[in-house]
Amino acid sequence: MLFELESITKTYGKVTALRNLSVSMPKGAIGLLGPNGSGKTTMIRTLLGLISIDSGKGRVLGRDILKERLDIRQTVGFVPEDECLFPGLAGVDFVSYAGELCGMGPRDAMQRAHEVLDYVGLSEARYRKAETYSTGMKQRLKLAAAIVHDPQLLILDEPTNGMDPKGRDELLAMSRGLAHEKGMSLLFSSHLLPDVEFVCDHVMVLGAGRLLASGRIDDLKKGAEREFEVRVKHDPQRLAAALRAEGAVAEQDADKITIELPIGTELVQIWQLAQRTGVQVRSLRPKRNTLEQVFLDALAAGGKEKEMPNADF
Amino acid sequence: MPIFDQGYQHWNGALTSHARRWWAVTRQGLRAQLRNRRTKYLVISAWVPALLLAAFLALWGLFEQKSSLLQPFFFLFQALPDEIKQGPKAYRTTIWTVAFHWFLWIELGVSMLLVLLVGPDLISQDLRFNAIPLYLSRPMRRFDYFLGKLGVIATFLAAVLIVPAVLAYVIGVGFSMDISVVRDTWRILAGSVAYGLIVAVVCGLVMLALSSLSRNSRLVAMMWAGVWLITWMISGAVGESLEDSKIKTRPWELISFTNNLHRIRQSLLDTGSAARQLEQLVVKAQEAAKTVAGGSLPGMQETRRGPFGIRLPMRRRPNNAAVPPPPPDVFGNREDDSRQIQQLRDLFESPYPWTWSAGVLLGLSVLAVGVLSTRVRSLDRLK
Repeated sequence: MLFELESITKTYGKVTALRNLSVSMPKGAIGLLGPNGSGKTTMIRTLLGLISIDSGKGRVLGRDILKERLDIRQTVGFVPEDECLFPGLAGVDFVSYAGELCGMGPRDAMQRAHEVLDYVGLSEARYRKAETYSTGMKQRLKLAAAIVHDPQLLILDEPTNGMDPKGRDELLAMSRGLAHEKGMSLLFSSHLLPDVEFVCDHVMVLGAGRLLASGRIDDLKKGAEREFEVRVKHDPQRLAAALRAEGAVAEQDADKITIELPIGTELVQIWQLAQRTGVQVRSLRPKRNTLEQVFLDALAAGGKEKEMPNADF
Repeated sequence: MPIFDQGYQHWNGALTSHARRWWAVTRQGLRAQLRNRRTKYLVISAWVPALLLAAFLALWGLFEQKSSLLQPFFFLFQALPDEIKQGPKAYRTTIWTVAFHWFLWIELGVSMLLVLLVGPDLISQDLRFNAIPLYLSRPMRRFDYFLGKLGVIATFLAAVLIVPAVLAYVIGVGFSMDISVVRDTWRILAGSVAYGLIVAVVCGLVMLALSSLSRNSRLVAMMWAGVWLITWMISGAVGESLEDSKIKTRPWELISFTNNLHRIRQSLLDTGSAARQLEQLVVKAQEAAKTVAGGSLPGMQETRRGPFGIRLPMRRRPNNAAVPPPPPDVFGNREDDSRQIQQLRDLFESPYPWTWSAGVLLGLSVLAVGVLSTRVRSLDRLK
């Protein structure tokens, strides 16, 4: 397991940031979704062993989040959301210093800094002061500083904020490459669902400090076994009415009908009804959700739709 | 032909233990500060008094041995009282104490200036650039961060207080060619090192606390100047206004940050003992001078006054030179004599106990730690 949390509760005064949160996620690339104030940052800090929890227990990469905090941070890299820099340092010194803070010797850290700066595409700017970097370059620099000690888990908190489309695509490609080609696990927190979908295999949705949904993205996007989408050439109302008459749930939207068949009914009956009603079927496929739909459904199930205006998709 | 992967490469090198993470912060701080030319010049110039101290101790070592090597410098010792010239070893501890006292007195001023140069940026710049989350998300604790920053100031202060004192001591021992000098003076070395550590820790903590109070480094520098100079001036002003009061312990001196450090130094070097030995010399010299002023003793040479009012033989005067008139009422004035002794005491002893100063410095340090822990907060809080 990458991490497992059991009944974690964390409060800040009267605010409860995490409520009895239990979750376990396998190694791989994991997306962390949730509206503002859902507890994402608190969960990340819990995983990093940066906060004292009120109750519960957990392990990250097999290490106890209460007793082995420094060991956890040794094996985890973190890219914070906020703009934060070690002042007065050139890019290569910045990354090297980050390595030294993780325990690397000065020579190793400097050599490794050059390598990772090449990887994140900052080789040309390595001797420039970090303060002079653009927002996108600073994000890359933070990524380089986070992977300089070759962590097993890389936590990225809103890594594409403020980046131009090209830089964003490159950063996402790098993150995906780290996870899928280099075997580094990721926890990718973002409001941008396409980013999460591109990089991650698994996702967990938080709302009001609770786990609302988690699992493989492909599985979550799969609808129920009995749900289908049909596109017809003419008169979709007629087919929808016929389906409803047979006890199915049919929702029509232009030429598309979303169908949920009743138990005991087979797929072939859709074809039979179409033939009977004389409607020409253009396509018929199992219904697939978008990640956005998964996210909205999870929030709705958690009764937290009211928080949606804060979310930024 | 092998293809080298230019993408991400894993790394499997050795890491240092968590206990040494603070040193990475210190090392980076030192690298950054040594890029400042003014800091480098100040550290180098701070070694001038150390060279003088080492030279003095070397000469004293030769003087104790009555070495012929001292011939070119013999004029330096002519002004010493006969008691010292006849038995210099009896005054060894006193002379070393006085030498280290003055050296450390000068170096404290340099240290204050050095802290003013290297200290203000240490935390205030991290606050300005929001670097604290970067530190705390690494395998290090807040304590390591503070210790690393304190290490920067402590290293610079050690470089101008402890290292030169130790080297000068070693040189002094080397030139004395007498192992008994270690027995007589080890306390001075221990006191100097302890004093250097106390200055480093107290000044470091206070400066770090000030640095955490503002994101503006110039403002921090002004605050430090206030702690150093304003408290000293206030203490002096209060002292002047209360000069005629009956308060003999002069508690207003506790207001001054540097006075408190001076008081600790006096205690660690035991300058009081040195002052008493010098006082005896002064008293003897005054008594001898009074006798001469009476002019009743047959065969008594004319005298002149040396350091601390000590009687010295007159220089040979040409036969045709006019005899200068005696200084106005310098001999036989009891008030003048006691003032002279009081001045000597004031140089090396304070009238209040050292524990008062230790209490003030301890209180300041505790306050500084409190400020630091409040201003540089952990990430265990709402964003």
